[in-house]
Amino acid sequence: MKVSPLDRKTSLSIFDRMLMMRYFEEAVLRLYQERQFASHFHLYIGQEATGAAVLEALGDKDLICTTHRNHGHLIGRGSDPGQTMAEILGRSSGLNRGRGGTLHASDPSRGFLSTSAIVGGCAGLATGAAFGIKTKRESNVAVGFFGDGSLEEGLVIESFNIAALWKLPVIYVCENNSAGAMGPQQGGYPTAITATDSFTRLPAAYGIHCVKVDGADIAAVYAAATEATQRCRAGQGPAFIEAFTVRWPGSSPLWPEPATVTDLNEAWDPARLKGPHVAWLRDHDPLLRTARDIVAHGYVSQDEVMAHDKDARARVEAGAAFAIESPMPLSETAHEHVFA
Amino acid sequence: MRHGRLEKADADEAAVNRVVLPPKDEAISLLRTMQLIRAFEEQVRSLFFGGIIPGLVHLCAGQEAVAVGVCSQLRTSDKIASNHRGHGHCLAKGADVRRLMAEIMGRRSGYGLGRGGSLHIFDVVNGNLGTNGIVGGGIPLAVGAAFSAKRNGRGDVAVCFFGDGALNQGLLFEAMNMAAIWRLPVVFVCENNGYGEFTASEHVTAGRDPKARGASFDIPSEAVDGMDVLAVREAARRGISRARAGEGPSFLVCTTYRYGGHHAGDKQEYKDTAEIEAWRQKDPIERLGRQLQDENLVTSKVIAALKGAVETEVREAVEFARAAPMPEPQDLGLHLYA
Amino acid sequence: MPNARNITYRSAVLEALAGEMRRDQNVILIGEDVGAAGGVFKQTDGLHAEFGEERVIDTPISEAGAFGLAIGAAMAGQRPVFEVMFGDFITLVMDQLVNQAAKVNYMSAGQFSVPLVLRTAVGIGANLGPQHSQSLHAWTAHIPGLKVVMPSTPADAKGLMTAAIRDDNPVVFFEDRMLYNVSGEVPQFEHVVPIGSAEVKRPGRDVSIIATSRMVHIALAAAELLAHENVSVEVVDPRSLVPLDIDTLVASVKKTSRAVVVDGGYRQYGVTGEIAATIAEEAFDWLDAPIMRVGGANVPIPFSKSIEPLMLPDAAKLAAIVAQLLHGTR
Repeated sequence: MKVSPLDRKTSLSIFDRMLMMRYFEEAVLRLYQERQFASHFHLYIGQEATGAAVLEALGDKDLICTTHRNHGHLIGRGSDPGQTMAEILGRSSGLNRGRGGTLHASDPSRGFLSTSAIVGGCAGLATGAAFGIKTKRESNVAVGFFGDGSLEEGLVIESFNIAALWKLPVIYVCENNSAGAMGPQQGGYPTAITATDSFTRLPAAYGIHCVKVDGADIAAVYAAATEATQRCRAGQGPAFIEAFTVRWPGSSPLWPEPATVTDLNEAWDPARLKGPHVAWLRDHDPLLRTARDIVAHGYVSQDEVMAHDKDARARVEAGAAFAIESPMPLSETAHEHVFA
Repeated sequence: MRHGRLEKADADEAAVNRVVLPPKDEAISLLRTMQLIRAFEEQVRSLFFGGIIPGLVHLCAGQEAVAVGVCSQLRTSDKIASNHRGHGHCLAKGADVRRLMAEIMGRRSGYGLGRGGSLHIFDVVNGNLGTNGIVGGGIPLAVGAAFSAKRNGRGDVAVCFFGDGALNQGLLFEAMNMAAIWRLPVVFVCENNGYGEFTASEHVTAGRDPKARGASFDIPSEAVDGMDVLAVREAARRGISRARAGEGPSFLVCTTYRYGGHHAGDKQEYKDTAEIEAWRQKDPIERLGRQLQDENLVTSKVIAALKGAVETEVREAVEFARAAPMPEPQDLGLHLYA
Repeated sequence: MPNARNITYRSAVLEALAGEMRRDQNVILIGEDVGAAGGVFKQTDGLHAEFGEERVIDTPISEAGAFGLAIGAAMAGQRPVFEVMFGDFITLVMDQLVNQAAKVNYMSAGQFSVPLVLRTAVGIGANLGPQHSQSLHAWTAHIPGLKVVMPSTPADAKGLMTAAIRDDNPVVFFEDRMLYNVSGEVPQFEHVVPIGSAEVKRPGRDVSIIATSRMVHIALAAAELLAHENVSVEVVDPRSLVPLDIDTLVASVKKTSRAVVVDGGYRQYGVTGEIAATIAEEAFDWLDAPIMRVGGANVPIPFSKSIEPLMLPDAAKLAAIVAQLLHGTR
């Protein structure tokens, strides 16, 4: 569906979130290559438009649940890049004091619940958060971000049933990054083994309001998210948004690779595009697309975009430096927080 | 509280399910098996209140048509997985009435040497993977048996029976997805009796139509009048043939009713008596009896004789079971491992 | 060891799997990413190519449903090896494992058996965080009807996987992924280690260290350190938790009079308690000192590099604990 462009303020706000997400993830990859941390990790590159636009539509008191692919959601929500990076590096100044790491980074001060790395886990938690909101008669919403793989877990379906039955104010955002194909990805990590030909049929069977959007189109995502939050706040029950993105070429199951490096000049100077992933950059990179669009709408000039770019890069760098200099957790603290 | 779909179901299902009369012998066999189940459940109920049966029993009086209609289309080598309300499934699949009664009474002559009871009745000779104490627990077992059947290539199929309560189990969803992707020869049979334990299913089951849950995987899904054994038989025949032909799973949502409570002893305060009476008007045994008499296939005398015969059979099973020995202490460790 | 050559733990398990799949058509492999991807740690590499998608099956992310399917298939004549990708995820299959698989043979009085293997990789040390590092073997060992094995060496891994597949009961096979690249002598052809047989990995006189899985290697290293101080340590590897070879463990303790039990799961209500209590029951009069228990710290496993290693003892720490035991201080 063609949605009218967003206003200047909203567009720029979303764009700034996306810039932070992108540079943060590129920094994570760089720090991994520099052996600043070891672990499996998952990057949000290529999915920024979805997260940023949804987060833009939320209020400060709304609650968020995310998965192993959480960095983008945290940074997009405004979590401190230094503390977030510190968590990924396992430092005591990290969001979870080094106990969670990349898989479980979470920021309760910004409305994040516990980040589950068990596929499907966050759907249950988000549903529960919504139940709490409803019980307390608040007008907030709970959002659960998860991927297409989650729709294979029975727990998610049980959550749909309960959320629909009790008209809970929860928004399920399914970020489908399986390159637009249903079924196992060609020659690699299968991210969707499902018998349905359309994921929205699953929540629809429970009477949940469902919407599909182009996950790289900030106006479409924002419109869907706004509609969903309004429905929830009006007591109309849960919503399911399926946002499609084309998977970033650097995404592997366990070890991301530096397939592309961001240069916003490529947005208006396609001659600059080079390397093996020109098609992805040109047709599917949500950051380049959004940069192109906000200039085309007359909201900013190219120079102004580059100023935002420089700003985001600097903030991320500062965060990375803070993280690298942060101390590791002390042995004596290993047993803290087992119990409240 | 009412069974939410009573009126709507009639209209829908009449359209979908045309009644096809089987040959006389088969029709009588359908009637007899339903009568057997009814008589068996009445005896179990009475024994339970007499303090003879320990634990809990979950009776299926009223739901006989589903078990009988489906199992009438199965071979001995086909598999079924049952649930907690499974005596009817066991009998319809050919269980020995005496061994079944003995197991429910916890006797050593029962199917499980008395250690399983009503909730854990296995019958390998008849392909019965067991009644089950976990809601939905048997569903993936049937899907696994279907997987095995597909590998064996002999055209066998598997059926799982579950109630409307199990519709909300994530396990059902996962099992349906896999059955569909891998085109497994399994038929999912939901006995929608309107109540999950003491709660009306409309209060716990979101979405207007349970069929949609199978349909969202493109599994052929039908609503069936579960009080009409001939309708069940036809729908089962469709699903089972599809499975045998390698076309994958089917899903039957059979609207039915249990006259009794969730378990024997449940006072059913969540139902009103008018509702129970209304459903008794649709009694599957009476219905088939009338149909067969209308077609002049049987007389009322024959029906009475059949009833008498199964009641005798069940009484003999009770005597057998009551005379059967209890398990011994040294039995405790038997069959812990294969 | 006849026809032995040096291969890794990972390869040894793979050899067992491939060998059994060749020998018996009913053996199938079911799990997430076990087929086309060859396993997230390459632990099933090559099987899909050799045996095809009919026998090496990639499931959706539906652990409970898929494991239930494996149980049903086993009851119907298959011999599945079901992989749970990370040991922590055993929580997702627990109902099917505990309430179905473990009890079917018993409840049906032998009419149906469940000849399957549930294999899963555990292991602290790769900074995988609290939900990807746990070893919950103690939970499974608690359930009558299951067998539980934890091989520590490549040879034992091959032998126990072979035995597990051939066993007609549900066997839970815990492998430590930190051992995947450890090499050892492994017989080239058929090799079976009986389930329920412990092994003395290093004979000694002064103290028995009973250790499981990766802790065996820690114990052996500690034994080396202690040998420099003229302490002779005997390292005993139970290899199977259920059934437990009590006779071998007790024989060792009767010889040395002192025991330390080391296990990688959380210490509280864990394997060390069970083994220590069993030894106390059987060999009390032979003991010169209380039995020591060394287990994983009773905290969720933290991500950070500086504190993750505190979860388990290293060789030096273990040697120090043993030394304290011998010198009568605790």
